[in-house]
Amino acid sequence: MIIGLSVALGFFVDVIGRVQTMMKNDKETEENPFKPPTQPLYSKDDPPMSVKVFFPAALGEPLLSAEDDTIFKSANVANRARQILQRLQEGPRSGTMYPSMPKDTKAQDLFISEQGTAFVNFSSTITTNHPGGVLNELATIYSIVNSLTYNLPEIKEVKILVGGIEKETLAGHCLLLLPLEMDLSMTNVAAPENRTASLQQ
Amino acid sequence: MAVAMAALGAAVFIFSGLIQAAETSFPIYFPDSRLIVKADVMNRTVYLPIREIVTHMGLPYTDSIALETLTIRSGNNRLVVTRNSGLISYNNQVILLPTQILREDNRWLAPVEFLTMGLSRMTGTEFRYRPGTSRIFAGNFEVPELEMNAQTLGPITRLTLRSGRSINIESKREDPTRTILTINQSPLEPARERFDHKDRLLRSVAFDDSDGDAKILLETTRDVSDIRITAANNNRVFFVDLVREGESAAATPTVPVEPPAATPAKPDVTTAERRVRVIVIDPGHGGMDTGVTTATGTEKDLTLAWARRLRPALQARLGATVLLTRDSDVALDNEARSAVANNNQANLFISLHVGYSSSKVEATSSIFIMKEGFGQTLSQAASRDQLFLPWYLGYRIQRQGSAAAAAILQEEMQKGIPGWKFPIRTAPLAVLSSATMPSLLFEIGNLNNNVNAQTLADSGFQTRLVNSMVDAIQRFSESPQKAAN
Repeated sequence: MIIGLSVALGFFVDVIGRVQTMMKNDKETEENPFKPPTQPLYSKDDPPMSVKVFFPAALGEPLLSAEDDTIFKSANVANRARQILQRLQEGPRSGTMYPSMPKDTKAQDLFISEQGTAFVNFSSTITTNHPGGVLNELATIYSIVNSLTYNLPEIKEVKILVGGIEKETLAGHCLLLLPLEMDLSMTNVAAPENRTASLQQ
Repeated sequence: MAVAMAALGAAVFIFSGLIQAAETSFPIYFPDSRLIVKADVMNRTVYLPIREIVTHMGLPYTDSIALETLTIRSGNNRLVVTRNSGLISYNNQVILLPTQILREDNRWLAPVEFLTMGLSRMTGTEFRYRPGTSRIFAGNFEVPELEMNAQTLGPITRLTLRSGRSINIESKREDPTRTILTINQSPLEPARERFDHKDRLLRSVAFDDSDGDAKILLETTRDVSDIRITAANNNRVFFVDLVREGESAAATPTVPVEPPAATPAKPDVTTAERRVRVIVIDPGHGGMDTGVTTATGTEKDLTLAWARRLRPALQARLGATVLLTRDSDVALDNEARSAVANNNQANLFISLHVGYSSSKVEATSSIFIMKEGFGQTLSQAASRDQLFLPWYLGYRIQRQGSAAAAAILQEEMQKGIPGWKFPIRTAPLAVLSSATMPSLLFEIGNLNNNVNAQTLADSGFQTRLVNSMVDAIQRFSESPQKAAN
């Protein structure tokens, strides 16, 4: 009886020990193959960069207002764009603006072509959770397009993808089949100087 | 006695009518070939000629007149059928068919079950047959479905065809009451073989592929003056519009009273003629696509109610032909909506929507026109590199006309509904991008603002809204051509 119990106890202790070792190993592993590697979007040495992030204005007119924010000026332009998208995702801090992204929406990936087209892939919640309305859809789209093109002259136009594929519209109204350029006519912000300069060249 | 003889004669006549075979063409579709057989229909049972089918499939057979059997071979397998017997033998295993196998006029005739229960076992070929239809699909391949529906939309009757694959349709009017729509794709599997739709223009619609080519036969009344076909959804949806005589003058400007939209108008032409003769109203969303949805209502219902109020008001005041892109709770894609306007050569296209705002307090309405210059770089690239020009640049033909119509609508709305703002905005809108006539999208109020939602549902408000719109459209219609082109 005692022998039996001690064998069982020994076995139990052994199992617990193994599980603990496995958990430790898991923590110690540098890269878990089941999670994409998360590389930092900036390093501490990167200088700060002032940006304007566009959100729907609470008063409705103009449609979009800009919130001043600061990001790190990463060496890679795509990483600067990702930081701006993160700010958009987090929503405005000011009470005079509203979030532009539908609930649970994430910018999953971004790629900038040589011609300056930024392809941004959003989770499909950007359409499934979108409440609709033409003006409201326009606000969602141009908060993305303007926030990227206004701050990053390297990005000339933005093509929005949903769930990894091309979609005709987000909520039935605004055509997404062509990349969209900056449109500040729906904001109270003047064209950025660097962009005016680059356009004149 | 004479009466008895007559009764007997009648009985014999009726009986012979029942057993007499009606011969029909019956296509059997194989993955890469088709066989049209003459099938005998007796007492609602379809009998197919076995030898023709077996020969088409390349199977050897022995026809024994003495034994009254037909033996079909495939490798080591043997299938034997016997005259006037419902029993067939497959490798000495007996299978019972629901009806007998016949041998008449040197033809072996078997019910469809001979294929599904007998031949399929021997050859491994799957035979699909739906009772009540007259076609068989042999082999495992996908056959696109074809849905046919008809609805009466004011002065026109619309037949909507939906196919699982891209198709092309051509219409040919055989005589005033009979039109054949030829489909370039065969086989197709129609959801229903035929149906009646009794209205002023259409009698019945029937699918026919008895010669192996898919066709739709339309029995119409003599009032049909024109048949117009509009394709949508990459040629998966077709609208076949039957137009009534008398309406044709307004709906089909064969001799246009005004310059066609596609060609630039002569700048100095001013005309007292009304420029708006055909108006297409598009109630936004529909079906599964509800649009803005709140506890107080859905956008798709409000836009449909709004369009239904607008139609008679416009007809009465302007005498114009007013068509709705949808007159029921159905989903339509954006291209199909503007296609209705393009295909009916509409002079004005208005898409109706109800808004939503993150800031619930502020009630906003907007009159949208297409964003100027949208896709312009693409059109330059297209002419330079010989790329094809996408159709969603069609809006450019009448961008100025759209802006003129928007300005008039804004003025009339501000007059009719004081206190509300109706700013004109520009946006890359899918529903307007390929409309080749003056076109607007009108979004009213915020459905997620409770006070606003109640106002929108109010009958008095709806009347004012519709009246102001009719005023605006009348003004636009009477405005000189020059202003818009």
